[in-house]
Amino acid sequence: MGLVKRDQKKQSVDRVGERRKRIRDFVGLVKGLSDPDPTVRRWCARDLAVFSEASKHLVEQLKKEKDRSVKEVIVTTLIRIGNKEAVQGLIECLRSDDAHLRNASIEALKHLPHKVSPVMEQLLKDKDPDIRIFAINILESLKDERVEDWLIYVIENDPHINVCGTALDLLTEVGTEKALPSIAKVKERFNNPYINYVADIAVRRIRGAEENE
Amino acid sequence: MNNANINITKEDFLKFREYFYRKTGILFDESKRYFVDKRLAERIQKTGCKNFREYFIKLRFDKSGIEFERLVNAMTVNETYFFREEYQFQAMVNEILPEITKKKREGELIRIWSIPSSSGEEPYSIAIYLLEYWSDINNWDVEIVASDIDTNMLEKAKEGKFSQRSIQNIPPHLVKKYFTHNGNGQYQICKDLRDSVEFKRVNIVDPLQTKAFRNFDLIFCRNMLIYFDDVSRKIAAETLYDALSPGGFVLLGHAESMSRVTSIFKIRRFRKCIAYQK
Repeated sequence: MGLVKRDQKKQSVDRVGERRKRIRDFVGLVKGLSDPDPTVRRWCARDLAVFSEASKHLVEQLKKEKDRSVKEVIVTTLIRIGNKEAVQGLIECLRSDDAHLRNASIEALKHLPHKVSPVMEQLLKDKDPDIRIFAINILESLKDERVEDWLIYVIENDPHINVCGTALDLLTEVGTEKALPSIAKVKERFNNPYINYVADIAVRRIRGAEENE
Repeated sequence: MNNANINITKEDFLKFREYFYRKTGILFDESKRYFVDKRLAERIQKTGCKNFREYFIKLRFDKSGIEFERLVNAMTVNETYFFREEYQFQAMVNEILPEITKKKREGELIRIWSIPSSSGEEPYSIAIYLLEYWSDINNWDVEIVASDIDTNMLEKAKEGKFSQRSIQNIPPHLVKKYFTHNGNGQYQICKDLRDSVEFKRVNIVDPLQTKAFRNFDLIFCRNMLIYFDDVSRKIAAETLYDALSPGGFVLLGHAESMSRVTSIFKIRRFRKCIAYQK
């Protein structure tokens, strides 16, 4: 007993590897997504990353998947595939009643900025305020030069206080002096302590940055 | 422009701190203000930006992520040495291994993975700690696997030669016991310990390469995830999850947190550290 020497190892990485080599084709992997064993489902979801046509199957499984670890791997695979179908599927999941799935979809969409940007305006105009808030959550990670303009659009037009509050919160990070007039207007429009509070922080942060110039 | 001419206001600091925390999970409190300001000023100067504002916009909207990586490097001091973050080794022998062995049958192996192993200080520290401070070492077989993406580092680790600075935290009687002083300020770890660690190259974000890494009870993965982009971090975390046996643990660096990467692990609080359990 004690430390096992390299040449005596029972579970050398190479030997474990040999046992696991097997052919895994697209059809087999898609079938494996509904295997009763979550470990099998997780591995199939991971290996499907090389098949762009897998998005539809992954989204279908994601909507009904109960195991959190499998859900996370499916989401990561959808990010890695990152095609239009994957983005559309993740957007559909934003409307799910499952909070974990909604949050996982927001996180995933944040990783797909080029694919999300074209649909951002549509998301910011969605009739459901929760979807509009999720869209702002996604903006948080978007490296798109229109981020500030989108946030200004929201605080100038959105009727919902929580949507505007979320947008103001993000303006504390990305806002410039361009946003200052709209921030003043949103304060007037709502005349509400919460909005005043976040708006004042945003103004302070933007002016704090201006002091450097 | 000189660093001293770059002014970071309190609002700038708060703005940066929130952003950096959101991206890395590393939170700088007020006491770190001088450290943060100094490094920010360096990066502002090196990128040719005029002020914090210009730099922050460049950082925030840089699609390549290169500047963010440089900033992380500047904000995190990454130096490896023996017994680094020793409280985690203490948790390993005093709390984690006793919990692991409770669930194992007699004769079953305990497997530990050190990734990234860099020049070998971490896996050899694990080996020494087990031999010296784990009272149960004679009742169990332990396999240690160490991995890095850099083959030069792996070769260096296999050779097991270290500087005085690298071994300075090891008590002198253990240096005497496990190392040979080669002169030129170099110490070579004994053959017995070199033979006790299996070094294997792996790129943790490549599923084909990581498939063979299985059935570990404990993984040390310190100061690696902070250098990854968000997607790679997720892939790496999921790989660690699959490399663990059920109930196995991952230990991250003190500035790292799994909770910002994935929710698949159970957070376990031990007396001196946090571990992530499968």
